[in-house]
Amino acid sequence: MATQSDTDQIQGFGQVSRTTGVIFRYLLMGATMFGIVTLAILLVYVANDAIQPLTADAGWYLVFFVTFVAPTTLVGAYLYRTNVDALKLGLLVVGMLAVTLMFSGGVAIVFVDIVPPLVSLSYAIGLLVPFAAVVLMTKYEDAIPFTARVAATGAIFFLSLFGIPGYYHSIPEMVQKIPVVPTEWVIITLVFGGVVAVVVGQYFARIRENTRAGVVAGVAALAATGAAAVSGMFTGVNPTALAVVAAGAFVPTAAYAGGAALTREEERIGLLLAAVVIGGSLVGAGIVDVLGFAGPQSWVDWQFLTSSHSGTAENAGLYPAIGGSILLMVTVAALSFPLGVGAAVYLEEYAPDNVFTRFIDVNISNLAGVPSVVYGLLGLGVFVTYLGQPTGTVLIGGATLALLILPIVIISSREAIRSVPQDMRQASYGMGATRWQTVKNVVLPEAFPGILTGTILALGRAIGETAPLIMIGAPNVLFNLPTELSSKVSAMPLQVYAWSSLFASEDFYTKAVPAGVVVLLAVLLAMNSVAIVLRNKFESES
Amino acid sequence: MSHKENTAEVESSNMTGTEDPTNDEMLVQTDVSDGLSASTSVSETTNAETIIRADDINVWYGDEQALQNISMEIPENSVTAMIGPSGCGKSTFLRCINRMNDLIDVARVEGELTLRGKNVYDDDVDPVALRRRVGMVFQKPNPFPKSIYENVVYGLKIQGIEGDYDEIVEESLKRAALWDEVKDRLHESGLDLSGGQQQRLCIARAIATDPEVLLMDEPASALDPVATSQIEDLVEELAEDYTVVIVTHNMQQAARISDKTAVFLTGGELVEFDDTQKIFENPESQRVEDYITGKFG
Repeated sequence: MATQSDTDQIQGFGQVSRTTGVIFRYLLMGATMFGIVTLAILLVYVANDAIQPLTADAGWYLVFFVTFVAPTTLVGAYLYRTNVDALKLGLLVVGMLAVTLMFSGGVAIVFVDIVPPLVSLSYAIGLLVPFAAVVLMTKYEDAIPFTARVAATGAIFFLSLFGIPGYYHSIPEMVQKIPVVPTEWVIITLVFGGVVAVVVGQYFARIRENTRAGVVAGVAALAATGAAAVSGMFTGVNPTALAVVAAGAFVPTAAYAGGAALTREEERIGLLLAAVVIGGSLVGAGIVDVLGFAGPQSWVDWQFLTSSHSGTAENAGLYPAIGGSILLMVTVAALSFPLGVGAAVYLEEYAPDNVFTRFIDVNISNLAGVPSVVYGLLGLGVFVTYLGQPTGTVLIGGATLALLILPIVIISSREAIRSVPQDMRQASYGMGATRWQTVKNVVLPEAFPGILTGTILALGRAIGETAPLIMIGAPNVLFNLPTELSSKVSAMPLQVYAWSSLFASEDFYTKAVPAGVVVLLAVLLAMNSVAIVLRNKFESES
Repeated sequence: MSHKENTAEVESSNMTGTEDPTNDEMLVQTDVSDGLSASTSVSETTNAETIIRADDINVWYGDEQALQNISMEIPENSVTAMIGPSGCGKSTFLRCINRMNDLIDVARVEGELTLRGKNVYDDDVDPVALRRRVGMVFQKPNPFPKSIYENVVYGLKIQGIEGDYDEIVEESLKRAALWDEVKDRLHESGLDLSGGQQQRLCIARAIATDPEVLLMDEPASALDPVATSQIEDLVEELAEDYTVVIVTHNMQQAARISDKTAVFLTGGELVEFDDTQKIFENPESQRVEDYITGKFG
């Protein structure tokens, strides 16, 4: 009887209404999804215009479903249920191949059309000589006074790169005058492929704890690069570009996958996913070719990526804009990274806490929110009007965009430096380290991954900017790649803007503009994914 | 020990870099620390055994006074413990000795604190050079995110001490009773060690540069009992070569390992400083007795 009455009482507690809470929860969810869904719809719309998936044959879809989609789904589902870490490894390898292909394609553009390999080789040697001299000097650091070392460093760099006019030629000049000049792809294979081979060799020597394994891997890497270049001579593809892509994408991805297969026994099954994705798409492409099924009439095709602007949307391409964006990115990175990190280190580690630094603090945050068109005006005013530089060059564009992202680089670098535990600094100071030694040996190495991530994300912002480039007078249409810092530059977003405004027509709206947007977004996504992978990697390590 | 002589050279050149006549005394006494001319020290200092002498030290953090008129003499090659309730200023006093308080903007120190007769708060004393002679181990183990080997040689590298690093690493780790546990993985990260091992690594790092004084700020408070007793054994051994000043919350620990004990009580005053045995068996002050017997604090 007692238990009976107990349950009666419990049943009598009644219900507390949660209606308001539930409504609130779904409202919040709706707010979260609103932006994402809207953007996703837009992207699907644009991608549909650019790639036109519905124009492909049914047979084409069938072939790729059988060779690519079905096996990938099966393997992916199997890995997801049995071994998530292996799935992550497989996805990382696939992603690495995609991203490195994209970036080495960009590097190939630089070597094929912007800086000839011989010139870059000669400058590489011209830089290598003084670096070697500096390394040698640090060995005898104590014997040479600091000021003498600084002076000698400056002198060596100047002599090596510029020479003494009239008496002595600079090292790059001398290299270019050597009578026997190897062909371009040989230079690229030896220098670019050589560096990659050394890195790969060291990686394998470390994981196998065996020097011979490292040598074998390094030689194999170099041979693969050379083979790719040679194959280009038979297939008609530019051998220099093939050598760059092989050394920059295929060899590193293969080395990473091979290293994972050797060291991570439990996860190496994940490489199956990568094999299925790569093999499936190759097999599918081969079958489609043989059977003659037509793929989608995509506007993002080889022609679009490799030709310049044209009066008709069908023949228009993005090539000069891609090259311009690459050069701009290099300039922006070279300018904003040292300035931004330097400012961040000063503000976090050196600056006293007073009214002046707090004023700077607040203003850096404000600068990050200033509209980009204002930065364009600043660039125009400072560089063009005041310093009298020609409008629309790589240097001016890069400097303006560098100013634009400088506050973001400073803020994210400060965040990274601040996240270095105070204990580490205390330990260093307690050992009798000076502030400089503490910053150099403890703070910067710890903060570096965070700084790098922040800088890449900031570069992603710069690569999508249009307004500053318009303000500094970058040309809307450019038929040739810029070849030096003082040539006129276009950029991907600027080209898209030009197509949608100056050449506005139904044709450009539905063909060239969506294709340009898809390429731009692909580059942005690649950069952001590199930043995210870097951050996750270093976060899980520490 | 080859690097010991090098240490002395570096230290003396650091401390006398300004060629100030008052620093001559320091030179002589640096020699004393190496046992080269022990007889001269008697005439140079008022008490040959005293290495650190605090005279009327007052510390403020902003407007708040953290230490009041602290005076004490810490003898050489011994373990001096500082005990007291939380917030009584014992860690603050420890940080006065190697001027770590300089790193806190609002901290202000008044009074005289001498290391071998030289006031460390004199204008001509470089706090960085001072910290190279006074090692410190912190409450929370704080190895650098580098390999075990790199952790131990960090001080040698930044101080520009030359020598056989492999040998110094082995010796320091042996003295810190860590060698047997890590000798096969010197090039793995110091962060992969357990808490107690990390703290012994920090001790190895501190003694690798052969400082004269070793300051320890509650080195065992974050550790389990086994690791704590290892650290305690280690402190007693280290006292044969170093002057150890240790802050602890744990009164039994102070009683076990120290030769002298200073009792700080709330408000930053030093209530009693005497031989450890006397403090724990027959303290002069009623407050100290109440604290030690657990009536408060």
